[in-house]
Amino acid sequence: MSSNDNDHRGLLPAGLADLLPPDAAREARAIDLAIERFAAFGYERVKPPLVEFEESLLGGPGAALSQQTFRLMDPVSQRMMGVRPDMTVQVARIAVTRLKHEPRPLRLSYGGNVIRVRGSALKPERQFAQVGTELIGVDSAEADAEAVLLAVDTLRAIGVSDLSVDLNLPTLVAAVAGGVNQPEEAMSRLRRALDRKDEGGIAKAGADRKAADLFAGLLRAAGPADKGLAQLAKLELPEAAAAEAARLAEVVKLVAAAEEGLPLTIDPVEYRGLEYQTGVSFSVFALKGREELARGGRYSAGYPEDGVSESATGFTVYMDAVLAASAAPPERPRLYVGLGTPWADCAPWQSKGYAVVRAVVAAPDPRAEAKRLRCSHALIDGDAVPL
Amino acid sequence: MSSEANEKLILALPKGRILKEAAPVFARAGIEPEAAFADPDARQLRFTTNHPDLDIIRVRSFDVATFVAFGAAHLGIAGADVLMEFDYPEIYAPIDLGIGKCRLAVAEPVEMAGSDDPRRWSHVRIATKYPEVTRKHFAARGVQAECVKLSGAMELAPSLGLSHRIVDLVDSGRTLKDNGLVEIEHIADITSRFIVNRAALKTRPERVGHWIDRFREVAQGAARAA
Repeated sequence: MSSNDNDHRGLLPAGLADLLPPDAAREARAIDLAIERFAAFGYERVKPPLVEFEESLLGGPGAALSQQTFRLMDPVSQRMMGVRPDMTVQVARIAVTRLKHEPRPLRLSYGGNVIRVRGSALKPERQFAQVGTELIGVDSAEADAEAVLLAVDTLRAIGVSDLSVDLNLPTLVAAVAGGVNQPEEAMSRLRRALDRKDEGGIAKAGADRKAADLFAGLLRAAGPADKGLAQLAKLELPEAAAAEAARLAEVVKLVAAAEEGLPLTIDPVEYRGLEYQTGVSFSVFALKGREELARGGRYSAGYPEDGVSESATGFTVYMDAVLAASAAPPERPRLYVGLGTPWADCAPWQSKGYAVVRAVVAAPDPRAEAKRLRCSHALIDGDAVPL
Repeated sequence: MSSEANEKLILALPKGRILKEAAPVFARAGIEPEAAFADPDARQLRFTTNHPDLDIIRVRSFDVATFVAFGAAHLGIAGADVLMEFDYPEIYAPIDLGIGKCRLAVAEPVEMAGSDDPRRWSHVRIATKYPEVTRKHFAARGVQAECVKLSGAMELAPSLGLSHRIVDLVDSGRTLKDNGLVEIEHIADITSRFIVNRAALKTRPERVGHWIDRFREVAQGAARAA
């Protein structure tokens, strides 16, 4: 193998990659499996465009991803457009505009690629595939639980094992803060300490003793769901926060009842990556993976700033993380058939599961030619002979 | 049912300064590493402990944060300096162990300190192991810091003209003094933290939680004794 002068053309911008065989097919298959599970629960697929006007893409919940959005100017309309950094916002836009007359709750699903300005140290990818669902127009614990259960069901269908679910209340800290009235500076230090689960940092944040104890209590409630909820119940939460905690308990009960043995944890102070969520949220992890495979939760679909919004819940499955955490399915056997094999003769082999690789130039030794073309079998005298 | 039972937890420890102070913390937490661990000349990098499901790895102090952030190690002990520098969102720093106490500070040559007025700075050149922390610290007070990244021997930089000022860990201040430097600005007090990987805590709440509880008890016991 000598290096070709053209090799440098293979260089891609940071965070972008070519998916090659068999990974590209694996991803496509996993997306199909996911969409099929969504369809089995009545979620119908929509397909928004890759690019749309900035004000619709970055309005409402989209504002949280504004910094992560590539923008370009539309030479036709002379307006700014954004390349989608996330699909939920687009599906929510469809729900509150073109499908606003459809009965609620509305069940929609989607699958496609998104692109972001920056990757992170842990996840350098800037383009990745998302598939997910949105359940729009109702605000109930049953709906929250459906999103969790469907995410788990989908990941299992794709072949990920040893799942666990972490349930969060990203607005709880704000609700608690609203009830205890602390200086803003102390609150931002508290927020930072809570993000890092840094108990020492809470004590040093400069909030009064009672508030600091309350936040430390929230932090210690993170862990297995049953223990965590018991700990949460012991805290004297302000009214708004107590209502949120009660909702979380209800969702945990519904999920635990439907999925016996599924490890459930709660983390009432988790906030990162859930910036647009407004209620019970969750992440699904696999023992093998180092990052979340799916995330979701309650949010306001639409454009609250225009007075057009509906309570919704949903989740997104991150395909790159899923593929890293699931076992590769066995590859299809490849059968080499010699030059002149009738087109119609391929079908019976294909229905037995073979990929049929037809000779398109003559080869004197079919076995050698089959091997050269990475085939597992060659058709010799009407038989598929393993190589 | 789960593949969790036979999987080992990995605890990452920094070589050098903190390692010595960590030994009594380990003893109180009930962790006894195998004999080779105490031998500074051992080439071994991974060590077993008296807990069959817990192994220790010994890496450079900056690498502890990286191993834990990427989930290659589930637990670790790292200085707050390293955690500030990387600021990985995947690291939870639940416990201040109160060991490895020192501070992160700005220093400059003694002869400069007399006439230097930090309020007039708009741009400074700083030699440091901590470019991120340094940039943030100075940006917060409206000063642009141009950082020269070094891996050690920062104290040499001013005398050899690499930069006038340095940002480094200061313990007794002895090294600074020996090199004709004086501390002019305090950035942060530093201690070592017991850290855990976020995904590890979520997926193994009992096992990782057990070690958090153990180290918390040890840290509280030490704080009471002090």
